[in-house]
Amino acid sequence: MDVITISRQLGSLGFQVGQAVAAKLNYRLVWRDLINQAAIRSGAPEIALAMIDELNLLGLTPSTDQFNAYFRVVGQVIQELAAAGGIVIVGRAGQVVLRDEPRALHVRVIASLDVRMQRISSYRGISPEAARAQIEASDRTRKSYLRRAYQANWEDTSLYDLILNTSRMSLTTAAEIISHAAMQPFVKEAISIQAGEED
Amino acid sequence: MSLKQPQAPSFVHPAEEMFARVMDYYGVRWIYEPRTFDLEWDANGKVTLAFTPDFYLSDQDLYVELTTLRPQLSTKKNKKMRLMAELYPDINIKLMKRREMRDLMVKYGLYDQAEHIQGTQAQKKAP
Repeated sequence: MDVITISRQLGSLGFQVGQAVAAKLNYRLVWRDLINQAAIRSGAPEIALAMIDELNLLGLTPSTDQFNAYFRVVGQVIQELAAAGGIVIVGRAGQVVLRDEPRALHVRVIASLDVRMQRISSYRGISPEAARAQIEASDRTRKSYLRRAYQANWEDTSLYDLILNTSRMSLTTAAEIISHAAMQPFVKEAISIQAGEED
Repeated sequence: MSLKQPQAPSFVHPAEEMFARVMDYYGVRWIYEPRTFDLEWDANGKVTLAFTPDFYLSDQDLYVELTTLRPQLSTKKNKKMRLMAELYPDINIKLMKRREMRDLMVKYGLYDQAEHIQGTQAQKKAP
C-alpha cells in the first residue's frame, strides 16, 4: 500500500510518526501544503488561515459556500495525491476521503490525555492547564472538521486499519509497525470470513 | 516567522504584533508591510493614494489587513479595498477585524511563550 493517511490527536506524536514513516519508506509527506493548495485552488486562500487556526484565535468565520468549495477541493487534491502514490497524508480527513481506496492504509495515532498534556506542556513550555486547554480546543476543531465536511465521526474506529497508542510505544516502534503494514499487499481475503470461521 | 526581514519589524499597532505572534505559533510565514500598491494618481502621474497591507503570508499567497471598526477609517479602507479589487484583481487580500485575543492567548499559554517562539523554532511541529 503506497498511500498512508494519518489521523492524530494533538500531543500524540502523530505528525512525527508520519515524518518517520515517510522517511523510512521514502514517501512524500503532505500536511500544511494540502491546506494551502486547496484553499488557493478553491479561490479563498483565507480559508487556510481558518483551518490552521485550531484555537480560533483569529475568529475567522468563512461562509458555508467557501467551506464547501474548500472541502470539495481538498477531496480532489487528496485523490490526486493518492493516484500518484508514495505518500503520507497527515490530517484533512484522508481516512474518509480515501475510505474505499485499496492502496491506502489508514492509521490513527492517539495517546492518553495525561501523556498528551505532559508532551505539549514540555514542548511548548506552558502550564499543564494551558496544555489541556489547547488539547481540548484542538480535539473540538478536528472532530468538528470531519463532522462538518463528511458527516463522519473522528473517533469511529472503523475508519482506521491501525490505531496506535503512543502513550506506551515509542515513535520508532509506531513508525516501524506502520511501515511494515504498508509493505503488505491489500488482500481481499481480509474482508471475507471463511466458512466455519468465527468472526 | 518573518521573511526577508533581518530584524523584528516595528509594529504600528499592538494588534499587529499579536497577529504576528499567532502566525509564529502556527508556523505560518509572514512578511510585515512588504509592498505598497498605488491606487490613485494626479494629472502629473504622482501617486495620491496608496495602500500597504499589514502582512503578506507567502505560503497562502494572501495579504492581510487588520482593521478597526471606527466608521471614518472603515470608509477610507473600504475605498482602498474597492480600488485594490479593480486595479489588482489577482491579489488576494483579507480584511480582518482587529480582535482582542490577549485573554485567549493567555488561556492557551501563548502570551508568555510567544516571546520564545522565533525563527526556525516556529517551524517545528508540535508533538
